[in-house]
Amino acid sequence: MSHESLEQITRRLFLKECGLGLGSLALGSLWGCSTDKPKTLFNALNPLQTRAPHFPGKAKSVIYLHMAGAPSQLELFDFKPELQKLDGQDCPPSLLEGKKFAFIRGVPKMLGPKAKFAQHGQSGAWISENLPHLSTVADEITFLKAVQTDQFNHAPAQLLMHTGSPRLGRPSMGAWVTYGLGSENNNLPGFVVLTSGGKNPDAGKSVWGSGFLPSVYQGVQCRSEGDPVLFINDPQGIERNERRASIDAINEINQQHYKDVGDPEILSRIAQYEMAYRMQIAVPEVMNINDEPKYIHEMYGTHPGKESFANNVLLARKLVEKGVRFVQLFDWGWDSHGTDANLAIDIGFINKCRQTDKAVTALLLDLKQRGLLDETLVIWGGEFGRTPMQENREGKQNPFIGRDHHTEAFTIWMAGGGIKKGLSYGETDEIGYAAVKGKTSTYDVQATILNQLGFNHEQLTYDFQGRPFRLTDVHGKVINEIIT
Amino acid sequence: MKRPLLISLALLVVSGGIYWWIAESSRPVDFNTQVKPILNKRCITCHGGVKRESEYSLLFRKEAMDKGKSGKLAIIAGDAAHSELIKRINASDPEERMPYKKDPLTKEEIEILTKWIDQGAPWGDHWAYTKVESPEVPAASSWTKNSIDQFILEKMDEHDLSPSPQASNEMLLRRVSLDLTGLPADEKVQKDFLQGKLSYENLVDSLLNSPHYGERWASVWLDLARYADTKGYERDDSRTIWRYRDWVINAFNRDMPYDSFLIEQLAGDLLPNPTDNQYLATAFHRNSMTNDEGGTDNEEFRTAAVLDRVNTTWEGLMGTTFACVQCHSHPYDPFRQEEYYKFMAFFNNTRDEDTEADYPLLRHLEKGDEEKLKEITDWVKKNTSEEKAREVYTFVKTGQPAINSLLSDRFVNAELSDTKWLVFRNHGVARLAHVDVTNKNFLIYRFASFKPGGTWTIHLDKPDGPVIKQLVLPETKSWVTEEVSITPFAGTHDLYFTYVNPNLKKAEDSGVLFDWFYFTDYSVKRVTENNIGKNYWELVTKNFPTTPIMMENPPSMKRTTQVFRRGNWLVKTDTVQADVPASLNPIPASMPHNRLGLAQWMVSEDNPLVSRTIVNRVWEQLFGIGLVETLEDMGTQGMPPTHPELLNYLSYHLMHDDQWSLKKLVREIVLSATYRQDSKVTEAHLTKDPLNKFYARAPRVRLSAEQVRDQALAVSGLLSNKMFGPSVMPYQPGGIWLSPWNGATWKISKGEDRHRRALYTYWKRTAPYPSMMTFDGSAREVCTARRIRTNTPLQALVMLNDSVYVEASYQLAALMQKSAKTLEEQIKFGYTRAIGHAPSSEVVKALAQLYTRTAETMEVKRVNNSKPAKNNRKENAMMLVASAILNLDEFVTKN
Repeated sequence: MSHESLEQITRRLFLKECGLGLGSLALGSLWGCSTDKPKTLFNALNPLQTRAPHFPGKAKSVIYLHMAGAPSQLELFDFKPELQKLDGQDCPPSLLEGKKFAFIRGVPKMLGPKAKFAQHGQSGAWISENLPHLSTVADEITFLKAVQTDQFNHAPAQLLMHTGSPRLGRPSMGAWVTYGLGSENNNLPGFVVLTSGGKNPDAGKSVWGSGFLPSVYQGVQCRSEGDPVLFINDPQGIERNERRASIDAINEINQQHYKDVGDPEILSRIAQYEMAYRMQIAVPEVMNINDEPKYIHEMYGTHPGKESFANNVLLARKLVEKGVRFVQLFDWGWDSHGTDANLAIDIGFINKCRQTDKAVTALLLDLKQRGLLDETLVIWGGEFGRTPMQENREGKQNPFIGRDHHTEAFTIWMAGGGIKKGLSYGETDEIGYAAVKGKTSTYDVQATILNQLGFNHEQLTYDFQGRPFRLTDVHGKVINEIIT
Repeated sequence: MKRPLLISLALLVVSGGIYWWIAESSRPVDFNTQVKPILNKRCITCHGGVKRESEYSLLFRKEAMDKGKSGKLAIIAGDAAHSELIKRINASDPEERMPYKKDPLTKEEIEILTKWIDQGAPWGDHWAYTKVESPEVPAASSWTKNSIDQFILEKMDEHDLSPSPQASNEMLLRRVSLDLTGLPADEKVQKDFLQGKLSYENLVDSLLNSPHYGERWASVWLDLARYADTKGYERDDSRTIWRYRDWVINAFNRDMPYDSFLIEQLAGDLLPNPTDNQYLATAFHRNSMTNDEGGTDNEEFRTAAVLDRVNTTWEGLMGTTFACVQCHSHPYDPFRQEEYYKFMAFFNNTRDEDTEADYPLLRHLEKGDEEKLKEITDWVKKNTSEEKAREVYTFVKTGQPAINSLLSDRFVNAELSDTKWLVFRNHGVARLAHVDVTNKNFLIYRFASFKPGGTWTIHLDKPDGPVIKQLVLPETKSWVTEEVSITPFAGTHDLYFTYVNPNLKKAEDSGVLFDWFYFTDYSVKRVTENNIGKNYWELVTKNFPTTPIMMENPPSMKRTTQVFRRGNWLVKTDTVQADVPASLNPIPASMPHNRLGLAQWMVSEDNPLVSRTIVNRVWEQLFGIGLVETLEDMGTQGMPPTHPELLNYLSYHLMHDDQWSLKKLVREIVLSATYRQDSKVTEAHLTKDPLNKFYARAPRVRLSAEQVRDQALAVSGLLSNKMFGPSVMPYQPGGIWLSPWNGATWKISKGEDRHRRALYTYWKRTAPYPSMMTFDGSAREVCTARRIRTNTPLQALVMLNDSVYVEASYQLAALMQKSAKTLEEQIKFGYTRAIGHAPSSEVVKALAQLYTRTAETMEVKRVNNSKPAKNNRKENAMMLVASAILNLDEFVTKN
């Protein structure tokens, strides 16, 4: 059963019921059909059909690199020489009164930047010595230096960043995008998630969940160890031709059953088995980085067969090349409190930078050399920032140097996909505590990402609990200043 | 002659038209079906519960009949021409015309509104908010078997549809077994029914009496209860709450009346002298999440849990979306913002405070301990009072009411360790505010001390105030519970704790952690008679298994509830008292305004929502779609009911005639002719009712995640019949659990626990069992009122390749090989066993071909390499055949 003939049946069926054209083929839910709800795009029989966005978007796909744990902007991009002068002094009360921190108690000491900074490229972007590779592509990037959030714990802040709500139950950004655009590739999921660092992000799988959207839109986790997608590999001892024979038998019997009972859902199941078979070939193919040329491996710093951030970044490039809409990476281990060496701003943090800098830079260069950077939006960031004060957990000095969670200002960068090159937008005060100019919120970042894909974030909605919901809730405005 | 005829014909037509027009224009406009949809769609976004543009809203009648900012009356009942609303929707000036800057209303819409106002602008209550009354039952026919069919047939007639023939016995058997027990019926029952020894009615009764009935329906309830085995959020540590799951299974199996079922779950702790089971039932609302992430504000997540309880109560139990009222008045339905917080006040006074241990806990005493406790309480009753005995009983059973140390503040050299427990360093000070110490001369407390020689002093009112206790704490290394006498004082005081320990060498070294404090005026521990004191202390300090439960604050700890501005819990405004929304039935004067009163209000016959919601849910489970499709929302933005009278009929009878018996409700539905129809879809069905809203055929619905798994285990002979107990870990691929800060791992269960029913699977919120999620299971983070079914290639991959299904396929293949000599017979056996009827010759041919094709070509090593290669080939080929059967649409679908 081809996709087209399925489409025909689906279309005939729903045109009759709803009196709608194919362009607005729409269902309130699996069985529902209400002309009052023209904004809901879910088509039960072909939920991943390709759909046009609201307007032609500059980006076709998104690669979102989330550094879970929240990297310190003060050791990477937000250069604050004034903070150095205050290093070791008591934090002034004005920065503490009426504020709440996750771990800082009493009066902490100020902590100067623990990295050297220099300006890079034509744009003169400030980037620290921790990112020697990224410094070479500074002119491709727009830095948002005054991003704000209102959640200072990891799980809620990650949820806010990716679902628009600090509580569980909302769809993730990738799910919204897949719901809005469908999938371009019939053999691959539309929304793929890759994790590294040995842990899932703090908020668990909900950060790529589908919330109240149908579960078909949730992110599909691809893994570098075990099955690349769960259950994609045939049982031990079963060869491809045998799998083909078994799917042929299943589909033949289902076809006969359809003739007997006439339920179009059976046709959809036949199509899903065909797609499963194709996925079994396409997924291991795209997940296999062995065949990449040596210079690519050197460029990214990849080591095939291991779970690593670099491998995931290379996979992300391969996936968008194949038409995957949204690739979400999570790299765990950026929570530099100073409670142990791995979480020290001058030890573990530098290691995390080393593990990722080369691959991130390679991604921008590689996309560019393939002519894909213009249509691929790359985002890098954490769920919040870090304090200009040194963390003093329970009111006493931590064993290593670290910074607490900070909501009032942090840095996210974007590149490609119709984003301006070599721009720094937004400013913090002279010690990097508060945003003072060009403030942006997590909702603004979401609105901008949707905008680059061709969506008005206020109109990409899904009816649930009696009202239309959207990713940005009741907030968000597109950051026009950073768009070409 | 011809002309006059034509003229008179024309006249006839015209006059007929006029007659029709007159009849139509005098016909009363219906507010709910005609007016409210226009207001909701066109007006209420700007003039409703969220925005009140120009100070005008159309949400409530009183507001709608009022003047807006312009000072003109928008609606003058009986006078559309002078009503500002009508003028504005007709205005030609784009600055005047409503809806502002949007498409104008259609001619028809304007006509309806005009007529409605001319007719007096009667306001109507939305159907779901009006009391359930018993409707008239339409006439019976030769097809109808009970009243349900009479309602269904009437609608079928209206839509020019007629019933399908009754399904074959095989189809009916499989359908009703899966619906009632989630499993194929056991072999004897199958045989007896198919051979005519068991009537359909008796089959239904035997299924209703099967212990599997409770398991199947508990699965549905656990989605509403957001039952899981972990606490959620970042750490997502385990939570022992499976005894609640077992309570639900038992309640369904005993057919506990639904009203008691709700009362015990919402307020079992407030019933007089609650039993362990009544306490256990309240774990329903302790399935909300607890945030153990370090650095989190406990009050924030306590509040989040309370809000979750409010939303779950409405969405899951009353089919109404209430969550949006948290931030503003309901945009479409008659609920005001402050009513949300009045309702929240019912839930805002419980003892839970986002503690790491999930206090309060019911302690499950072991055998023999109950008798000891009875001796103790009898003794206390005899020697003091019944009230005192109850206090002692409650403390032993629940450890309440204790003050959690995380409420302490004003720290000097002290802190909340990991924002969970009060911790002291040398020369530490902390405050415990507002403690009622009247007559309290004993303190029981739980602590862990890391260094000997620490002096703990309790001061009244100030860090250097009067001392009510001073003692040196021993080194304990782990948590210990102790009792000390203290000097009693009258009234409520701030208590200041100080801690000095010269053995702490470094300023940053911690000396002691406190968990909770229980102040009392009576020490049972000191009773020497009959070992009472000794036994009591043994019970207090022993480690019993526990379950989180709901418990109300004592009066001295009562919380006030305030409205949060725009839903922000940090911005609290007006104080409110517990109450239900004014647009629904009031709480009768005889009932208290607490959770118990709330529960009684919910199950009162005047409550319009509770009975309709459960009837709708049961219907959805049996037919795949609710009478109101949006189970979570029967409000004005939900879908209207397809059969409103039937919904009322079933709801009314559930409450009045059937005394809230769900088994009777299920029985009546599955005995209907409607339920027993064939599911074949005809061309006429596709033309007239493709979505089967009028039930002219039985639905075909994909089985739930749980049913898919259970059925595969059952037909392959792997399924364990063991019921109850701690959740199990069946096979799961590696690398699914990678929780930060949590060393928990998935350890595959041993023996039959690998093959238990799906509802016993360990449910981890941040990493739920993947194959069930692929089949649209719920992660159970919040209440899931309805699972949306999808059909994806990932489901095919699970059925083909997940080890659970591979193992089931091997097992079924082995049974097939044993069953008969010829391949054909073996295939027939396997197919019939799985699908419930004999295969057609084409099916046998297709499967036989699969076998021969693969048996010939395959050179495979079996997973289990113990058998000779020659047999492996056959086994593998048969496994593929069995797997194909388990992958058939007919297998994963209820036909």
